[in-house]
Amino acid sequence: MNPPPKIPKKILVAVDESNSSKRALVYVAEMIGGRKDINVLVLHIINEPEEDFFPKAGEREKWLSAEKEKTDSMLSGYRALLIENGVDPECIAVLSKVRSCPSIGDCILNEMESSASRTVVVGRKGVSKKEELLFGSVSNRIIHHAKDCTIWVVA
Amino acid sequence: MEERFSLNSIKDLAARWFPRLPPIGTIHYDTTDFFRIGYGDALVLGKKAYYVRHNAKEGRFGLDDEEKFWVKRSIDLDDGSLKIVKLEFREKFQAHIGDFSFDCFRSPKKEARLLNLVSGHANFMHGYSVKDPAGNTVRVIDYIYGKTLHSHILSLQVGHEDFYHTLFPDIFKNFLECVEAVAFLHEHHEKHGDIRRDHIIIDRESGRYRWIDFDFNYLHRENIYSYDLFGLGNIFMYIVGMGDVLLNDLRKKNPSALDSLREDDLNIVFNNRVANLEKIFPYVSPSINRILMHFSKGAEVFYDNTSQMVNDLNEAYHGL
Repeated sequence: MNPPPKIPKKILVAVDESNSSKRALVYVAEMIGGRKDINVLVLHIINEPEEDFFPKAGEREKWLSAEKEKTDSMLSGYRALLIENGVDPECIAVLSKVRSCPSIGDCILNEMESSASRTVVVGRKGVSKKEELLFGSVSNRIIHHAKDCTIWVVA
Repeated sequence: MEERFSLNSIKDLAARWFPRLPPIGTIHYDTTDFFRIGYGDALVLGKKAYYVRHNAKEGRFGLDDEEKFWVKRSIDLDDGSLKIVKLEFREKFQAHIGDFSFDCFRSPKKEARLLNLVSGHANFMHGYSVKDPAGNTVRVIDYIYGKTLHSHILSLQVGHEDFYHTLFPDIFKNFLECVEAVAFLHEHHEKHGDIRRDHIIIDRESGRYRWIDFDFNYLHRENIYSYDLFGLGNIFMYIVGMGDVLLNDLRKKNPSALDSLREDDLNIVFNNRVANLEKIFPYVSPSINRILMHFSKGAEVFYDNTSQMVNDLNEAYHGL
């Protein structure tokens, strides 16, 4: 009897425009090298402001379209960065999701589940304690709330 | 659909509530140009008419009162009660907290939504929202008679130790209700947005502490609720200290207390305030002080959500 086909492992790298995201991507590329049995999913969450943020009809669509354009360009840059650092282009997928997130960390963990990834990688921006108190920290949130998965935090 | 009122019908309604009929100015249906709506005018919102007294003013922590042209103190001509009528005013601005700034905006929609959500909740202001013919979201809010928590604490004329053993437990109990009320908002994925000690009014009639002003909103980063939590921590520090315990004041009044203070004992954002109040007032219970230390420079772990803070406050309150 033939062994069951191997399902490629999937690593989700949650990114934004920060340098720490670039460091996380380069780290992942170095770790997996040219292996074809590991897929990399590069995810960016577009955190949609509450409806109140857009006083007039049409402004939300305008805002979203500008954000999507910015995100597409960022993600294609990140794709190139992974290839440049040795990741097989066929193993890379990029994804942007528009979400209303009370917590961005929680949204990333939800995406982890729905994409069946078992490893989440995030960059650590090194926010100060003060900043963390006022605004929260994505990497800390993920560390504290993740279940049944592995988290890599690249500082 | 709004009712149409004649000048005479407004006069008839007003005559029931004023011993001497005041002059009646313009009757406004469209509230877009709120600068044109002034003393003596009538506002017709939905099926009801209101007589405008004057613009509300808001002072903050000893600063001069700022006139809010979009907020009209008015008389409900149906029952003679005092209302705060908030007309639609939108602004976006950068708020600054310590070294940080973030994008804020005033949101009539959010306040309207919250008024619905907290209807009947004893720890919030009450009112309703209505659209004027131009589509503006107007909020009509029941006036709460009473002092702000800020003024109440400032007005106390007792020493701290007396305060802590006699007045503080009751204030603590009421504040705990306020924190539970904010947890209620968070459970419904809403935030207060502008948690300040002068945004709690002590209702003279019921004695309950009630949150006011929900029209403040901001673009959050990781956690939508962190900023509310930070506000709650500051208010608690203010209550326990019977006012802000400032380094400058200690230098003048209690210089020996400064010797024991370390950087880690200060408020994480307002570095001139002491968070570790047990060092100043040794009778402050350790469980209360532990809560305060979550908002100190030395904190390693912050509250993730309001329920965690409620749990700690409950435990500390019952341990008094």
